[in-house]
Amino acid sequence: MKSYSQIAGEIGEFSDLPFWKKADPIDLAYVGYGLLIVTLVVMSYFLGSFHLLPYNPDDIDLELMMAGPGTPGHILGTDFMGRDMLSRLIVGIQAYFLPGLLAVFIALFFGTVLGVLSGYPAKTGFDTGITYFTNLVDSFPRLVLILLVIAAFKPDIWYIMLVVGITNVPVVASHIKGKIQFLKQKNFIEADMALGLPTRTIILKHILWHNCRSLLIIQATLGMAEAILMETSLSYLGFGVQEPTPSWGNMVQAGANYFMQGKFWPSTAPALAILFTILGFHLLGDGLNNILEEKKGK
Amino acid sequence: MKLSAIRPIALVLSRELTITALLLLGVSFVVFIILYLSPGDPFSVLLEGQVSTEEAREGLREAMGVPKSWYSQYLSWLTNMLQGNFGTSVRTGLPVLQEVLRMGLNTVVLTIGSLFITLLLAVPLALYSAVRGTDRISWPLTMFSYVISALPVFWLGYIVIYFFTHKLGIFPMAFGYSSGGSGSAWLYALLPIFVLGIGNGTVSEVIRFLRSEMSRVMAEDYIRTARAKGASVWKHSFKEGLLIPVTEIIASKIPFILGGAVIVEQVFNWPGMGKMAWQAAQDRDYPVIMGVAILAAVLVRLGSLFQSVVYVAVNPRASKE
Repeated sequence: MKSYSQIAGEIGEFSDLPFWKKADPIDLAYVGYGLLIVTLVVMSYFLGSFHLLPYNPDDIDLELMMAGPGTPGHILGTDFMGRDMLSRLIVGIQAYFLPGLLAVFIALFFGTVLGVLSGYPAKTGFDTGITYFTNLVDSFPRLVLILLVIAAFKPDIWYIMLVVGITNVPVVASHIKGKIQFLKQKNFIEADMALGLPTRTIILKHILWHNCRSLLIIQATLGMAEAILMETSLSYLGFGVQEPTPSWGNMVQAGANYFMQGKFWPSTAPALAILFTILGFHLLGDGLNNILEEKKGK
Repeated sequence: MKLSAIRPIALVLSRELTITALLLLGVSFVVFIILYLSPGDPFSVLLEGQVSTEEAREGLREAMGVPKSWYSQYLSWLTNMLQGNFGTSVRTGLPVLQEVLRMGLNTVVLTIGSLFITLLLAVPLALYSAVRGTDRISWPLTMFSYVISALPVFWLGYIVIYFFTHKLGIFPMAFGYSSGGSGSAWLYALLPIFVLGIGNGTVSEVIRFLRSEMSRVMAEDYIRTARAKGASVWKHSFKEGLLIPVTEIIASKIPFILGGAVIVEQVFNWPGMGKMAWQAAQDRDYPVIMGVAILAAVLVRLGSLFQSVVYVAVNPRASKE
């Protein structure tokens, strides 16, 4: 039986099949892996904040230094001071989790506001202003801008994430703007206006909630990947969480001193953690994008 | 090139130069605002420990002609900068502009070299998977590039250093200043260029972008027509499908590569702008980090200027928009 939407000629936009049955299996695998990583990160964050760890991350064991993975008692081995690697990796999540969420929140909130302001009204001067702002933000290499802020204020992760959030605003704004301009040609917005619905309802419910939800989720995952990359890079460079408090970046840096002796594990374990996590967020964003956004309407 | 082909370029160049100037003005303003809002301006850093009382500082400030209001401070700072006076480094006492330009040259070499490596890897892979679709050859390679791109670039640097110096014994351990003498100095440059080229998250994004652009063009009607009449598909898809996307992605990736250069220069001890920025952030050396930020922004803007020139040279209609 044909659905109304198919009769109305809008095939593909409202299909009877649920989205996971239409999706490419590769994309589903990406999303599955990404969700696994996100779950692990969130769980580890809570394990870390309630100190439910196999070992105290600061306990030094001079008998058992640089143990490889699979050592009895220490599944992921120990670092150059005999501290348990798994516990340190779990606690390392504390360094970026909440600050990263702040960066994502700033980017999504202000990006949405600017996107709506430049996309929804018929004609405003906002458009030029936002293009200018976007180009201005893109003119700075982010790391250089962050180093500037560090030099001017102090090497504080919250300041850094504020900058990361602000520099992501234009990306979100341009996506939202593009989406709104696309939606405005649709009949349902016209119908909304003809029905005399308040602008607030149209924007918040019909545009943002029903049609921009998935876009915002995708941007959130990509933003989180960026935040993790920035935090680990900066703590590697020495501007962030300081030893002995673990962060993945400073663990790689501290372990690197032993790299040339052929002892790879202390810096490789956190590097792999960074790899799997960032890859997870990226693939989640990509997969969701392919499933929910791009293949719609084809 | 005919004169008629140059006219639209000149037109766009003048428009883009105006935009660039406006953006650089904005850049200088952002840098100024950050420094202005920071606790303890450079002037009081200079006076620290030398003048004890608040009144004496204020008096000195007036006597030395440091303006009070923020806009006059900005204007005098900007005028100084336009005359080439970026101040002197707090740490070394050397003039900032010369130092940043000297170091900047090394960073430009690093950036351009790594862009070249990235394109060398990404273009064939993107073209292959755009034309043939995802198959047994392109999928693993694409996946591999994703993994390489997600690797922390600093760790990749250590792996490469270890492998080349310990296992193969090809490159000397120390990079940079002390390398002089031998004629193989250019060899030292290869490792960081390689690491920055394949790591840093650029390869996968370039592949993704080029692939989607190329497949978009391959689906166009004029490509089908070309194919039907037996003309070269490659010749018809080259400009739209490769040349323009490549310049576009180069221009938009320059800030990311410059950011990655900060880390790679740190790992390889490469005497460039990024290492300078790191040192300046450690020392809170305002004039230096300011100079680096502004020079980096100039480089980014030059990249996008280059992009719009190529775009109009390929597609002269665009100048009338």
